[in-house]
Formats: sequence, C-alpha cells, structure tokens
Amino acid sequence: MDSQPEPVSYICGDCGGENTLKPADVIQCRECGYRILYKKRTRRIVQYEAR
Amino acid sequence: MGKQAMGNIAYNQLSRADTLLYLLAYPQRPLLTTRTIELVGYDKLGAGQNATVAVMSYSGYDIEDAIVMNKSSLDRGFGRCIALKKQTVVTEKYSNETSDRIVRPQNEPRKQALDDDGIASPGQIIRKHDILVNKQSPRNKRDKITTSLGLRDIDYAPSNVSYKGPEGETTVVDRVTLYTDKDDRMCIKFIIRQVRRPEIGDKFSSRHGQKGVVGTIVQQEDFPFSERGICPDLIMNPHGFPSRMTIGKMIELLGGKAGVSSGRFHYGSAFGEPSGHADKVEDISRTLVEHGFNYTGKDFLYSGITGKPLQAYIFMGPIYYQKLKHMVLDKMHARASGPRMTLTRQPTEGRARDGGLRLGEMERDCLIAYGASMLIYERLMLSSDPYQVQVCTKCGLLGYYNHKLKTSCCSMCKTGKNMSTMKLPYACKLLFQELQSMNVVPRLKLTEA
Repeated sequence: MDSQPEPVSYICGDCGGENTLKPADVIQCRECGYRILYKKRTRRIVQYEAR
Repeated sequence: MGKQAMGNIAYNQLSRADTLLYLLAYPQRPLLTTRTIELVGYDKLGAGQNATVAVMSYSGYDIEDAIVMNKSSLDRGFGRCIALKKQTVVTEKYSNETSDRIVRPQNEPRKQALDDDGIASPGQIIRKHDILVNKQSPRNKRDKITTSLGLRDIDYAPSNVSYKGPEGETTVVDRVTLYTDKDDRMCIKFIIRQVRRPEIGDKFSSRHGQKGVVGTIVQQEDFPFSERGICPDLIMNPHGFPSRMTIGKMIELLGGKAGVSSGRFHYGSAFGEPSGHADKVEDISRTLVEHGFNYTGKDFLYSGITGKPLQAYIFMGPIYYQKLKHMVLDKMHARASGPRMTLTRQPTEGRARDGGLRLGEMERDCLIAYGASMLIYERLMLSSDPYQVQVCTKCGLLGYYNHKLKTSCCSMCKTGKNMSTMKLPYACKLLFQELQSMNVVPRLKLTEA
C-alpha cells in the first residue's frame, strides 16, 4: 500500500469540470456550484463477457 | 407497449435514476401496426421484437402456452434485456454531532470493487455480497464527545453497504452519483446494471394477450427450417388458438409476413371495409402469393432433427413479441435451513427473507387423510420449531430444567419428582404461556407413547 494515494476526482453534473473532495467537504462543484457530482469510470482494467 | 412489457421507456432512460428499470437491448418497431399506433407515436418507443413464429408442436416442452426458443436467436440478441437497479447509501448524522464516515479500504475481502475513496466506481464488475461503500458508523451515537481529539478509529464500527443481488449474470456498477439531500447528509446513488439473456422460465407475450413462458431453448440445428432457409425464432403451440380465438394474432402473422416480403408496414386493425384503411386478409394473401408464399401463410418446413419434410405445412411468420418483466432470476427461491422468526422460532416467510416453503393447511389435510402421521410430525415439528420442555405429570404444567443441578423442576408443585421430558412445537409452548397470561390454564395429560 502506498502511503499517499492520489485523490479521487469527480465530474460535475452540469459543467463537466473535475473536482476533488475531502472527507468533510460539501458536495458541490468548484467551478459552477452544481450540487450533483458523478464518479469517474474505474481506471482498472475490466473484462466483460459478451455472449 | 403493455405495462409489463420491456422496451424503451423514455428517450432519457439511460440518464434517469429509477429504482428498477428494465430495458430491452435491441428493441424493434412492430411490422404490423394500426393507424392509431402511428398517430399516437406508440411505436416510437419500441417494446418488443419481431420474432418469426412457427405455429406447431415441438418436443412437448411447449404445452400449456410454453414457448420453444431458438438458441441462436438468443445469441443474436432476441429478448435480451438490461436490468438497472438503484441502490442508495446515506451517510447518517447523529444527535451527538457525530456522523458516518467513508474510509479508504484496506486490503480486505469483498472490498475489491472499491476505489481509494471507499466507493465503488462505474464499470466495476461486482458480485453478490461485494461491498459498494466502505462506510463506518460511530459506536456511540447518543452521548456528547468529551475528548478533545474527537473520535478515533476504534470508535467506529463498520457499517458497509453491500450488493445483494442474484448471482449468475455479471453485474456492473453503471453510474455513481454523489449529492446532499434535504437534511444535508451526503448520499451516494448507485445504478447497477445487469444484462440478461432469456432463460427457461422467462415470460414472453405477443400483443394479443397470448403470454407464455420459455419451456425449452433448442439449438438452431434442431429447429425446423423452410426451403428459403428461414428458421423460426420461437415455436408456439397451436392449442393456444381455438379457445382464445385470437384471430388478430393470425392476421398479424400474415400481415407481418407480407410486410417483410414487400418492404411495407401493414395495418392490422379490424377496419378492412372500403372506408377503413386496414389491409384485408385477402389483399395480404395476394401480396404473399406475389412474393412466392402460400396464400394461407403456411410454409413447407423440414424437420431440423431428421432433415425430412414435416408432415404438415406450418403457419409461420413474424409476430411482434414482448418480453415481460417477470423473470425467473428475480423469482426463484429455495431453502434448506435458514433464518427463523424470533417470536415463534419458525422459519421466516417469503423470498426476500430467505423463507421456508410452507406446508399449508390443505396440504396438512391431505397428509391426515392419507394417514402419514410421521410425515406430519416431521414437517410440522422437527423441520419447523422443535422445542424440548419439562412437563409435570401431576399438575400438567410446564416446568424448567436447572442446568446447574442437572434436574428438572416444576415451579407450581415446587418439586422435581413427577417431571418428564417431551418435545413440542415452540409455537405450542408459546400458546400455553400466552393462555396462562390471560388466566386460562392449559394442562397437559401425558400418556406413555
């Protein structure tokens, strides 16, 4: 385990800008103040089965 | 189309957050419509697929409205659907100014789907019991925090939120939304996606109320085929027609068949009179003959198993089929031993609580009539709520067992002389105690068995 993990960033539902959140932060976009944030897609490699 | 049918529900269906949403993976527009359907725009949102249906008997797995499905059609995407489920997680705030927290996961089991922020991210494949949010709640939720440092790690107990879904098909986190609700609590919404292909027991229906369940799935190699190489997507039993009198379905088949061969959508309503606009069966038949089909819509088919021609001509053509939202995956249930109710110590009820299958009153009547006493004993007591009691043979009331002295004793007679041990359902003992609390005294009279 690395000691300093990269902060996870979230995408604003309105302007699409990236945001980082700290545990006690209010969920709000820094750019436009929109209050819904989406999580970014996983960066891990995933393999789906198409059948 | 119908309220149980799967399909598109709205143009924004993939950005919505419904509690439960069933979508069809490849919806189609019906080949046979009516003017009203067009005017209302009913076919703008597809709710089914045009399946080539052969009306014939096949294998016996098609009796009682069951449907025989072509496996290759399923591989090509027929009846494939997407189930989207919502799961909401709230980080609660408590009266002592503490709150839940979401922490970074350590390398623990069932937490492999989690990100560094303790929340599973979209695209992640999850399985049953996988944790979606690594949430912790404070152990003390009432008293004021007196220490200046605030809460430490040991003051938190894990209150993880996991996925409780069926196993089998791969399940993926589709979308994760973070927001604050009206009480200023942080909430996380998960949209969880599952792609399902039809399986035995899934329910399908045409637009004529001819619903049926998939009875078996057969390889295309074993399916009948016509001289043109047309192979049906599903086989429907002809016994569904006479009693139900769904003439519309037969006309749909004819109209659909004429539609695919002529490249024009046909109208299938009942208004075939000169002032109406519907295509009459006579005209449809003419179109069929023009394209080299029999005017009755019947085809010359070969058996896929023997390769020989079938004895009869088979009524075959496209019918718009809908997948209904009743799927076995959501309904199947079985239990051996499992959770019990605290009050009666009997097995719980219902699939959601992993409940037992009830041997009801009427089933019990049958067993009594047959005289299967040992079976009744086993079902109603041993497999349900057996309980060992100490009975005083003198007063007939229930006593107790003293584990320290290893003797049983009657609390009424204040002696342990006339005690005997027996088994009875816990619910029975409960009834006795409840009666006693109402000043009714049930007494047991024991005989040698």
